[in-house]
Amino acid sequence: MKTLLNTFILFTALINISCEGLFQYNPNQVILKEDERNLNLKNVALIQALPQKDTTRFILMGDTQRWYDESSDFIKSANSQRDISFVIHAGDISDFGLSQEFKWVNQIMQELKYPYVTVIGNHDIVANGPLVYKKMYGELDYSFEFGGNKFIFINTNSREYNFDGLVPNLPWLRSQLKNNPTDKNAIVIAHVPPFDADFDPNMQNEYAQILASDPNVKFTLYGHQHTFKNEEFYEDGVRYMTTTSMGARGYLIVTTWKGGYRVERVEF
Amino acid sequence: MKKLFLLYLTLFSVTSFAEDGPRTDSYRKWYIPDHMKLQFAGNIGFMSGGPGYISRNKTLETDVLFGFLPKKFGGDALITLTAKVTYSPWRIHLKNSYNIAPFSIGFYSSHTFGPQFDSKWPEYYPKGYYWWATAVRLGAYVGGKAGRTVKFNKKVRNFEAYYEVGTYDLMFISYVQNTGFLKPSDILSLAIGIKMSL
Repeated sequence: MKTLLNTFILFTALINISCEGLFQYNPNQVILKEDERNLNLKNVALIQALPQKDTTRFILMGDTQRWYDESSDFIKSANSQRDISFVIHAGDISDFGLSQEFKWVNQIMQELKYPYVTVIGNHDIVANGPLVYKKMYGELDYSFEFGGNKFIFINTNSREYNFDGLVPNLPWLRSQLKNNPTDKNAIVIAHVPPFDADFDPNMQNEYAQILASDPNVKFTLYGHQHTFKNEEFYEDGVRYMTTTSMGARGYLIVTTWKGGYRVERVEF
Repeated sequence: MKKLFLLYLTLFSVTSFAEDGPRTDSYRKWYIPDHMKLQFAGNIGFMSGGPGYISRNKTLETDVLFGFLPKKFGGDALITLTAKVTYSPWRIHLKNSYNIAPFSIGFYSSHTFGPQFDSKWPEYYPKGYYWWATAVRLGAYVGGKAGRTVKFNKKVRNFEAYYEVGTYDLMFISYVQNTGFLKPSDILSLAIGIKMSL
């Protein structure tokens, strides 16, 4: 019996080393390869190494959740666009918060000619999703500068935290907007837009006010609603735009320059 | 968690009672397990093990497996309790006390424990906001096994080694809706295990 058990343990150890992915231990396991870790930090470095021009053109897409075939078609469409610097994924990378889903989406996004960065969506917060997201992409709130722009990514999935008043992190958002000495275009990107029922209703007005009171904020970008929107929701000079889902086969191309911007809708 | 454990316990004892009936080949009480299993992988733990029952005609096994995935191997320490039913309709007896069951088919329901997993979503979600339970997974598999009867501790025991290739609900639905990007092999994984009759 002991020999059988020992053989069994040795055997499992051996094939475990040799065949990666053949064995799965739990749907909620978080086993990532080195090239599946810290992707936002790595890709921001790639973006910042790009030649800087007066205008920046990037793609906003999102909600890849369980739409792998459609997401693969998105890659073909995105790769045929000209002068794109990078792609922003507006969240809901996964549908069930499983690492396997994150891996599949990353595998698809690796086919892009451009680096991509992400913001976390509500579906990425279920089960072990936050653990996967942090390991694979990094911080839930982060920012970087490129050209004349400061891109600010913030977790707005308030419902996932039972509207505890801490999500989105408004003090952090304020400090990020304040820390902009050269008055770059401040572009706030999140998954759930503030006018959505999944955004903390007690924080909606304050959030909108923070954006409206900063002259560097002209527009702000979201996903989640699976439809295109472009409206000045609070009549305060800030345009709120949402991109649609991969299931609806569409995305936005945003072009920015000093003091201006243009947004195009693309369907594929 | 305690309640759930009791539920599983009731579930498997009822199943086994229905399958077994009163035993004629021993004086063993119906609730005493017929065998123990130890399994590697299969989405119910790094290693899982526990007692099981077999029907009188030796084709239907019902098992309860307690599984553990250490953080070192899984990125998160996860505990799983699984109820599993395996049907192996054919058994071929070979020389030298060896036997093979070339085909098995089965399904399982596993419960992964932890505050981040729910079997019922909290009240702050509207009804039907998410349609699946993160704690409970339903899976299915096919496989086979080979065994040998040996005298061990003065008792005749049957030792078996088995393999299973399977998937679970959320992977299956992902595949069905994305047959362009996903291949069947993307959602299938392998489990191997051993069984010792008691």
